[in-house]
Amino acid sequence: MLCEKCGKNMATTHIHSVVNGVAREMYLCDECAAKEGISMADSGFSNMLASMLGDTLSIKKQGEQTRCKCCGSTFSDIAEKGVAGCPECYKEFYNEFLPYIKRVHGSVKHIGKNIGASSASQQEGNKVTIESLRDELAKLISEEKFELAAEVRDKIKEMEAQK
Amino acid sequence: MSCWYNNTAPDGDIAVSTRIRLARNINGFPFPARISDEQRQQVNLIIRKAIKNKDFAPYSLKYIDMKDVPQNERLSMLERHIASREFVSNSDNKAIILSEDETISIMIGEEDHIRIQVILPGLQLEKAYEIADNIDNVLCSNLDIAFDDNLGFITECPTNLGTGLRASVMFHLPVSESYGDILNLTKSVNKVGFTVRGMYGEGSNAAGSLYQISNQITLGVSEKNAIDNLRVISEQIINKERKLQNNLNKINTEDICMRALGTLKYARKLSSTELIELIGRVKLGINTGAISEDINPIKLLIEGQPYMLMKTYGNMTEDERDISRAEMVRNALN
Ligand SMILES: [Zn+2]
Ligand SMILES: [Zn+2]
Repeated sequence: MLCEKCGKNMATTHIHSVVNGVAREMYLCDECAAKEGISMADSGFSNMLASMLGDTLSIKKQGEQTRCKCCGSTFSDIAEKGVAGCPECYKEFYNEFLPYIKRVHGSVKHIGKNIGASSASQQEGNKVTIESLRDELAKLISEEKFELAAEVRDKIKEMEAQK
Repeated sequence: MSCWYNNTAPDGDIAVSTRIRLARNINGFPFPARISDEQRQQVNLIIRKAIKNKDFAPYSLKYIDMKDVPQNERLSMLERHIASREFVSNSDNKAIILSEDETISIMIGEEDHIRIQVILPGLQLEKAYEIADNIDNVLCSNLDIAFDDNLGFITECPTNLGTGLRASVMFHLPVSESYGDILNLTKSVNKVGFTVRGMYGEGSNAAGSLYQISNQITLGVSEKNAIDNLRVISEQIINKERKLQNNLNKINTEDICMRALGTLKYARKLSSTELIELIGRVKLGINTGAISEDINPIKLLIEGQPYMLMKTYGNMTEDERDISRAEMVRNALN
């Protein structure tokens, strides 16, 4: 999917926002996302999540907020404190978290120790095959998880270059 | 009781200690900051049961309810680096699991449900990680640990997602520091995702020239990678400091180090700041051969901390502690 703003680059960032009660969804490339103000301040980690998430993402109004089914946190609660309420929060607010996580770690794809049952291909961390990544890429695109898809695509390129 | 600082270690002349920390959480429970008392007790119980698993037998782990631990003892855990500040500062509902030699400590109810820590003397990243990893394997197979294929191990703070691994090495860098090299070191390790901080005191120069380097990035970097990178950085730091120490003017170094040793041996009062400074010089003296006596400076430094003294000798005023500290050091050195 291409960036909705410039129409040139591949969209890597999915943004939900509610402005004056109107929900907006956008798929942007890194460059345009940065122009939209979703860039990372060069400060310490602690206040970054709060400021980033609070200012730029999912500023939803009272009454229309989704709550985590496990701990009852809204994404505003999380943005305010800069930390999640429970493990489920990351599932409930996955898309809201992703841009921030990407900017903290430069990645949104775990590599390393894996105790997940659903991805046997990643056992023992570094044994990821290009084939398994291609399968994953197709799956992510079909699920419209573009930020992740872009990551996986980069990994495939990287691995192909190493061959 | 033998503790991590009682033993000599590889590269122990410059690397004081190696720490590995793994952050883990249990599905279905809010993180400790948002958890109810009842749920907290459930979490404690679940983990308490899990460590009774036979696979843990070789570690001889002991579960300790923090409410049963006196305040001085709690704060002394921070001073000997087996628990974090966040953990000991309000630990009434928390619990800690310790191995007999305290090299393994598992904090329950810190920022995350579970924080596995392994601390070893010197530079021993691989060994410390192996121990932590083995413990983690047993915990993961006995508990419903929160894990996501994309985000890795789930943690309260997004900055720990992925491996949940924090690997740290503490260094004693008196000469690098005196040459003003710490700022450059900080800049260059920042570029590769590591941070430097002083262990004691504030400001540009850390008290006792003790600095800790840790990884910052946990997502998209494997455990092996993070540890390999830290080992390479550590080896460079160690080699450089060693070289600088070897090139010091012999008599001047001897003078500084022997004066420090003399003060430690005969002073009647020692403040904790003074202890750190003097210990730093004595350590340099041992490294450079100026001091040939069999002394474990790090053990003295840790055992001379305020709560370490008070857990043994009872509550004291600052003045009384300075007297008691000097006595402890004197007895150890004479
Ligand atoms: Zn664009
Ligand atoms: Zn939640």
